[in-house]
Order: sequence, then C-alpha cells, then structure tokens
Amino acid sequence: MFKNEEMEINLGPQHPSTHGVLRVKLRLDGETITHCRPMIGYLHRGVEKICENQTFFQGQVWTDRMDYCSAVANNLGWAEANEKLFGITVPRRAQYIRTMLNEFNRLASHLIWLATHALDIGAMTVFLYAFREREDILDMNEAFCGSRLTTTAFRIGGLREDLPPGFEKLVKKFLAKFPDCIAEYENLLNENRIWKKRTIGVAKLSAEDAIALGVTGPVLRAAGVPYDIRKAFPYAAYAEMNFDVPTRTEADTYARYLVRMDEMRQSARIIQQCMDGMPEGPVMAKLPKILKAEVNEVYHATEAPKGEIGYYMVGEKGSGNPYRFHVRAPGFINLQALPKMAEGSLIADIVAAIGTLDIVLGEIDR
Amino acid sequence: MNKILRTLIPFDIVKGLSITGKHFAKVFFSANRRKVPFHITSEYPEVPAKVQPRYRGRLTLLKDEQGEIKCVCCLACEKICPTQVITIEKGKKEGRKMPFPVRYDFEMERCIFCEFCVESCGFDSIILNHQFELAAYNREDFSIGMEGLGQNMYEPSPVGKFSVADD
Repeated sequence: MFKNEEMEINLGPQHPSTHGVLRVKLRLDGETITHCRPMIGYLHRGVEKICENQTFFQGQVWTDRMDYCSAVANNLGWAEANEKLFGITVPRRAQYIRTMLNEFNRLASHLIWLATHALDIGAMTVFLYAFREREDILDMNEAFCGSRLTTTAFRIGGLREDLPPGFEKLVKKFLAKFPDCIAEYENLLNENRIWKKRTIGVAKLSAEDAIALGVTGPVLRAAGVPYDIRKAFPYAAYAEMNFDVPTRTEADTYARYLVRMDEMRQSARIIQQCMDGMPEGPVMAKLPKILKAEVNEVYHATEAPKGEIGYYMVGEKGSGNPYRFHVRAPGFINLQALPKMAEGSLIADIVAAIGTLDIVLGEIDR
Repeated sequence: MNKILRTLIPFDIVKGLSITGKHFAKVFFSANRRKVPFHITSEYPEVPAKVQPRYRGRLTLLKDEQGEIKCVCCLACEKICPTQVITIEKGKKEGRKMPFPVRYDFEMERCIFCEFCVESCGFDSIILNHQFELAAYNREDFSIGMEGLGQNMYEPSPVGKFSVADD
C-alpha cells in the first residue's frame, strides 16, 4: 500500500547500470527506497530445457552462454558434473590446465566487474585500464581454444587439445606485469574520496542475512564467512594449490571491492603454481564412443567468479540426454539479496548495490 | 589536524592523475605512435585483425590432392551440431567409390562456432577457417551451400577476405 508521499518507479530494463536487462521496481519516499523488487526473465532462453533435449556432449555450448563473462568457469562445472555422472577420471595434466584457465577466467570476470562497477559509480579511468588486461586474457583464451568469449574450452574426460606452443610465454608475460596493474587500480581507487564516499557503508549485508539468503562468492566472504568451494570441497587441482581465502568483516561495497582485489592476487598465485608444477602426460581420458548414463543423479558445485555454480543432472537409463538438467546460478541467488541491501538507502546507492553483486543477466534468466 | 590537511589538499586526486599522466606521457612523447609497445588500441579496419592458429571461423569443406571433396557423408557433423545448421544429402558420383555429398548446406546465421563438427569428423574433411569478417549484407548470404545462391564453400563471402586452408 502506498503512503501519502510515495512514488513508484522502474529502474531498467534498458538502464545501462543494471548490467543487462534487469528491471528493478522501486518505491520511493523522497529519495529513500522503501520497497525494492528485482524483476527478471527478459533474457530467458530456456537453457535447462534445451540441454535436456540434447546429448550430454552438446550441453556445454549452452553453459558458455549463461554467464558470458566467465564461460570457462561454467564449462569446468559442467564438465566435472558429467565426469561425476559417468565415473570418469581426468588425467592430471588436464586438471592442471583446467585449473589455470579457470583462474584466468576469474581474473577476466573480476576485471570486467571492476571496470563496470567503477564506471557506474563514476571512475572512468579504471574501466579502460581493466579492459586492457582483460584483452590479454581473452587472447590467451583464443590461443587455447579458438574463441575469446564463448570458449567451449573443455570436454567430458579432459581437454580437446593440449596447450598451444608459445602459451607459456604468454602466461609468463602476463604474470610479470599483472601485479603492477593491480597496484595501479588500487592507487586509482583505494584512497579516492569519491570512491570511498560511494562505497563505504553502502549496501550492507550481514553474514547472517547472507547465509539465510544463500548468497555465495565474494559477497559472502566480504561479510566475514571464509567459505570458498575451492578450499571446502576441492575440485580440479585445487587440493594441490597453495592459496588463501581473503575475507573482510565490514560487509559493505568497499569490503567486497577489497576482497575481489585480493582474490585477483591469489588467482595470479595459483596460475604461477600451475605453470611451475605442470605435469606431463595425456590430456584426455579414454571414453566410450557414446556416453550413456545409468539412472543416476549428481550435483556438482564449483566456485565460479560470482559464487557457487552448481549443476544438477539426472541421467536416464539407455538415453544419451540428461533427464533433468538444472543450474544453480550464483547470480540468480545473489540477486535475492538486493532488496535487503537497498531498502532504506538512497536511490543513488542502488546502482552501487547492483554493481557490487556482480550479476550477469544471461545467467540469472538462463 | 592531519585529517583537515588531507581534506583540504586532494592527495588522492593527485595520485590518480599522476597515473593517468604517466600513461599519457609514455605515448605522447614518443615520435611515432605505432612503434610504441605500450600502444594498446589497434586500428582495426586499416590494420587487419590478427587471429590465433586455433581461431574458429567459417565452416569450410576441404579438398584432397585431386581437387575432390573429401567429405564422405558419414553425417557425424550433422548429428553432433548443437544448433542443427548442417544438412547433407547423400549421393553418388561417377568414378568415386565413397558416397559424395550432393548437397551440403550450412546455415551460418545459427552457427555458434563451437567446432564440434570438425572434432567429430573422422575424415578430416571439414575445418573452421580463419576468416575474421563474417558479416554480409543479405540474409541469403548466410545460407551457404556447395553451389548456388551465387556463393559456395570455396569462394570468399561478399564481405572480407577468405582462403581455403590447405592442410
């Protein structure tokens, strides 16, 4: 029910700061948000249903197109869920390459988050610098699998091809300059008074609320909960890697920024370890010609840049298609925290709240 | 006192501007902009885009040494394609033991360039080439068949350069 002075407005679906086609229904009292509801579904393609009508092998191309900023991370979760379903063991070299590419993808995703989030709040320079480094990572994607964004990087049982010649040189070049680049972003933002005014204390989400809403990823870790699936339930080659899970306790937008910056440093560390300890050997396991599942269900969760991405698959006896395919998308679950973050704050802060959740609508609507 | 001083003198802005200024000077004080390694933008339409060896471009039928199409109509690519863009019609040709594709249609509009077709091919008869510019003016130009519609698999599409890979 409306009170006397309240007004209802729509933010989006074509608003540039909503990162896609998100529509947020806002009820305002002056400039204060009293009611906030995200409306989704503008980009719904029915990915889950399409995958049920296609073979297990073909399903990967749809995972690329869910969260297009972190396609490799989606591919990894999909591939590992399938391997769990069919009981395939992946060669060790393939595990290492997967881990390395996944961390590169985390860097790319965090860089595009930093760029667009800073642009929303009013820092244009970081946008250009972050895209400069992301370009190198996309070039590496292209060198490895032939495509920059929709990678289709992995296969059930390993990889299609080994690393291309000269890939190590690209990685070394990138790792040599990347710490300086992070220092550059931090010099531009950390002490910037506009950035601090727009982020400190904005869009708070306490640890209790975050856990109750099922929020994962950097948003949860910025509230002080050190939950990272790479550490909690190690997959790929993460059990052999040495890295920290950065956490903060302030639980505001600035803390989430700092957590993501620290995560980028840790990612660079993991890539370095992958390069140093890269084992030799085959990259593809021996597979039957046609994959057929016995009746069996599997849920496999991995840590995508935005949070926990889980694939739930039910195999049907004698069929090459999944009987049920479901994706637990991190963006979809994280978006449910938006009303909690935005209600009671000013309308200008909802842009920061949407940006800090790091949502991609391709994944939310699926 | 320290806090007041920091509020009055914008150190943070000076710090940020020094970074942008450094980058500006790096490029500005070099005589020839193109030779500066720091130069990160590419002048795309004038300078052709560089693609990696594994780049996934347009689907191409390969020929063998005699100039004959390698495809033997096993329909593996048609089956594996996630978006069903390939249609093959089996046929016979005089002086050829293996089946010959009478029709090999490829709807580039719907193609998602996943390279599953190339991977599934047991005869190495198709490849995704390195054509970077895949735009065309008409919708019909995306329906690519072996012949017909003024365009076939072995000739460049109306826009951009194109060459048949020869391996």
